[in-house]
Amino acid sequence: MASSPARLVASVVVTCVVAAGGLAATYTVTAPRIAAQAREAEHAALAKVLPGAARFEPVSEQLLSRAQQAASAGTIEQVWRAMDGSGADAGWCVRVSARGYGGPVHMVIGLDRNGKVLGLTILSMNETPGLGTRVETEEWFLKQFTELPAGYGERDVKKLDAISGATRSSRAVKNCVTAAAQALAVIAGEEGR
Amino acid sequence: MRRLLQTFTKGITRENPLMVLMIGLCATLAVSTQFQGAVFMGLAVIFVLTMSNTIISVFRRFIPVEVRIPMFIVVIASFVTIVDLVMKAFVPSVYAFLGIWIPLIVVNCIILGRAEAFAYHNGVLQSIADGLGMGVGYSLVIVLFAFVRELFGSGAVKFFGVTLLALPSWYAPPAVVLLFPGAFVLYGLYLAAWRRFVTRQGREGGECA
Repeated sequence: MASSPARLVASVVVTCVVAAGGLAATYTVTAPRIAAQAREAEHAALAKVLPGAARFEPVSEQLLSRAQQAASAGTIEQVWRAMDGSGADAGWCVRVSARGYGGPVHMVIGLDRNGKVLGLTILSMNETPGLGTRVETEEWFLKQFTELPAGYGERDVKKLDAISGATRSSRAVKNCVTAAAQALAVIAGEEGR
Repeated sequence: MRRLLQTFTKGITRENPLMVLMIGLCATLAVSTQFQGAVFMGLAVIFVLTMSNTIISVFRRFIPVEVRIPMFIVVIASFVTIVDLVMKAFVPSVYAFLGIWIPLIVVNCIILGRAEAFAYHNGVLQSIADGLGMGVGYSLVIVLFAFVRELFGSGAVKFFGVTLLALPSWYAPPAVVLLFPGAFVLYGLYLAAWRRFVTRQGREGGECA
């Protein structure tokens, strides 16, 4: 026996309303914690790449969009000005992504005031486990970027070693590091220091 | 009581979703590279499956047959979103690993399959037993699967940073175990073992054709 159209509509509407209510309740309970977790993860990443800094302030929107245009190697997501305990400049942190083998590789890169890489970490990636993910697990790979000279450019980065079998994943990390330098060239120049 | 127990155990052995019904494989092969992730994937599936079976069974007389699928999906998607939010809030490291596979539980055939094939036609207690049984059956296999893959694919099994079991350092883990080809080969071995020792199929020949 077929149900009347009104009954069909009513059943679906009631289900959806109840479901939406349940989800709204769950969201209200979990949202503050999720936001706190995200902030914590971000702060942990920033503190890891620039251990000397105590405070991080995002740069202005205008400056960020100028930096984004200048960074051709990757996508600049955020730039922070880092300060130490006394409020003096401690350098910059750049959150940047570039395309890898399995999707974007998201990184945070910490640089000192002269544009030398002090630390870098991978926030998230979707590279092949056991192959592409070696850009994170083989420590020498990320470490070699901290040996780049201050004010390095794309050509310096290109000369560094890649991991065999993980060419495109290595290139994604290299592009992130190059993009950070490109962004910083604009930002540091703008600030006149 | 005996029927409940039978409904529960059939999900683990005779009708195990991964080993016998062979549904929900995609997520299984993808997340079974890490023991810890597999444990939480199993828990998420148990929760969603049991809750959706319960709700659908309770309201089955009010669900018109013509719109049952959209209504099932709304119920399932709601529970999956609850799991998604809760995991993000309380175990972010696990969530970072499972990522997209948690929302994708919505389209996992096991959940919709049990709603359609079982909960829509059976009583509440039976449906809860079915959901729990299928969920436990799924979890058991994915956890065993991930244990072996992580052990032989990366040399050690870890749970929240604690090493549960490690192979000697001379063992150089082959990456293929963590990649899909390794997953398929291992899955085949599990299937063979399951048929031989649990469901005892195919011993007479012909049956396994």
